[in-house]
Amino acid sequence: MEVKIENLENKTMVVLSGRLDTTNADKFQQDIAPLMQGDAPDIEIDCTDMEYTSSQGLRMFLMLQKSVTARKGSLVMRNMKPNVKEVFDITGFSNIIRII
Amino acid sequence: MWFSKSFSTRLSLNVLLIVTIFFIVVLGIVAVSSHMLISEEATRSASNILKASILDIEKTLQTVESTVKDASWLVKENSKDEKYLYHITNKVVDENTNIIGSAIAFDSCYFDGRHFFSPYSYEDPETGELKSKELGSVENDYFTQEWYVEPKKSGKPHWSEPYFDAGGGEQMMTTYSYPIKDSTGNIYAIITADISLEWLSKKVDDIHPYEHSHSTLISAKGKYLSAGWQANMTDETAYSYAEKMDDPRILEISKNMLAGDSGTMRYMVDNKLSFAVYGPLSNGWSMAINCEYRDVLERSSKMHVVLILVGLVGLLVMFIMCYFKIRQLTQPIKEFSKSAHSIAQGNFNAQFPKVKSKDEILTLRDSLEEMQKYIVTYLEQVETATSAKKRMETQLYIGQKIQEGMLPKNFPNDSRCSLNARVVPAKEVGGDLYDFTINGNRLYFSVGDVSGKGVPAAFVMAITRVMCHLFADLGLPVKDVATRINNSIAKNNDANMFVTLFFGCIDLDTMKMEFCNAGHNPIIVIPPDGNPYYLKANPNMAIGVCGGFDYKGENLDLRTGTKLLLYTDGVTEAEKADKEQFGEERLLQLASRTDFRDLSSEEMVSTVHKAVTDFAGGNEQNDDITIFAITI
Repeated sequence: MEVKIENLENKTMVVLSGRLDTTNADKFQQDIAPLMQGDAPDIEIDCTDMEYTSSQGLRMFLMLQKSVTARKGSLVMRNMKPNVKEVFDITGFSNIIRII
Repeated sequence: MWFSKSFSTRLSLNVLLIVTIFFIVVLGIVAVSSHMLISEEATRSASNILKASILDIEKTLQTVESTVKDASWLVKENSKDEKYLYHITNKVVDENTNIIGSAIAFDSCYFDGRHFFSPYSYEDPETGELKSKELGSVENDYFTQEWYVEPKKSGKPHWSEPYFDAGGGEQMMTTYSYPIKDSTGNIYAIITADISLEWLSKKVDDIHPYEHSHSTLISAKGKYLSAGWQANMTDETAYSYAEKMDDPRILEISKNMLAGDSGTMRYMVDNKLSFAVYGPLSNGWSMAINCEYRDVLERSSKMHVVLILVGLVGLLVMFIMCYFKIRQLTQPIKEFSKSAHSIAQGNFNAQFPKVKSKDEILTLRDSLEEMQKYIVTYLEQVETATSAKKRMETQLYIGQKIQEGMLPKNFPNDSRCSLNARVVPAKEVGGDLYDFTINGNRLYFSVGDVSGKGVPAAFVMAITRVMCHLFADLGLPVKDVATRINNSIAKNNDANMFVTLFFGCIDLDTMKMEFCNAGHNPIIVIPPDGNPYYLKANPNMAIGVCGGFDYKGENLDLRTGTKLLLYTDGVTEAEKADKEQFGEERLLQLASRTDFRDLSSEEMVSTVHKAVTDFAGGNEQNDDITIFAITI
């Protein structure tokens, strides 16, 4: 799993690529730690190259979503591959995270 | 033992060794060059002495020659006056102290018709008194003697070979003969002067520059004129002596001397290295001075002894100074070694000695200190990491035990339904659950997956299961059960854990199924006479994500013989080495096999597990696998 974070003027762009599974979920948590700070963040996650996510990975997105909501910011995930989107749909995460 | 171990001793000895080698080399060079210089100097000095001695002897001989020459004029003037002729010979001996005898030998029948006539004056060898006599007689026929024959024949003055004068001086002598000629050039008399060889020998013997050196004077034919250094040499010639010595260099010296050459030659005599300088006298004689090198080099040898002694004392002093200085300089190293030893024993707070000098020792000290700090830090890290890992492992172990203890082991022996399930936990994950309970005619069943691991996940799972049972016993609809569990877990969920759960209830009388899917994978329904399919369901939301969520329940009519296959994502997401997943499609294909619907619940579970394991082909399982089969 590769995480690229780019701070633009009015939002933070995050590009994810690879697989997010139980073996690298802890590492991913460390990688996205910077996103858990700051007021009213506007975070956009590009999932074009994200191959897969396990339920551990979902938990990370849940944490991020809750953190962003608490700080009155916004989180949007875009360009999910169908198999990834399916996981979000099955678990109902599509209902709490904005996916476009 | 301290001697062989001490670093400073070894270093000092090494320095000593190097300096000693250097000292020996320098001493060798000094010895060789000083020997060469002294030898050259000795040769030059001996040559000078030889030249001076030759000049001195020549001067003495010249006084003899001029005395005789002067007297020859008087003989010419008074050749018929017998009394005066005696007066002349007396005067010659008396005037020149070097002359021990003088004769005027007249030709046969020249004086008064006599065959022999030769007035002769000489110093009596015993009393030293001046005596005169007539020399010629039948017994003493001077016409045959060398001193008369040679000048008579050549008409030139002549120095005779050494001989024993039996008729006159009664001793070893050499005679200078001068021919006296009349106006026509006819030689009518020979005037002579004798020189004692004893006197000449003594003069030559006095020339010895060194203790063991000696000088030799030889005549034109090689006879010894001086022989004080060796007795009975009177009959010996230099040539015969050299032949006897059987040394080519001594022979060469003799040849060169007889040829009237001058030079220098090194040779061995009696195993002693010697050298000779030699040179000719103007009258055809030759003189040599022989010196032994041991005398010449005595002084330099003494100097070498002094040099060696001074060197040895110097080396000893140097060794002692070196030893103490090095010991002082290496003292910190000794202390370092103590500190390092102390560290090696486990005392990581050992202090290193203070170093004042800004050199390699300071660098060493700094490096050691750095190393010490690094070791301490590293050990702390290792300790922390080890304990953290241990804690994690313990947690996982406890979690797994809780999970295992929670899962139902015994499946109901009920004629209305048969159930079977298994959980195959992955190494680091524990969170899958399955559960069932039969309450009258109602069969409650569930399968779920808790995100998270270890003890917290196990607790969430435990709570979920307890609440499932509780609400099932109360006879609540499944959607309400889901809603209540969700609210309860979401309330205090700082760790953001959630559970995907498929929760169902079958009325075993009516075969109506009520179910609620809380974010779980769709289950497969295998009707007794139709194709298996994934049960489409409202996904709702995983439990624990969001409190207050209103879960929706759904209904499905089943028939006797229907089979349900429940599973967790560990099945569909099982991977091969190339990351290909088992997938829902493959699972459905497996369930669609004609023989599959004839299997018992237990066989279904085994078959699915085998298919998944075969598919993964030894690739490490990274999620729990749960398979739950229900047949009604």
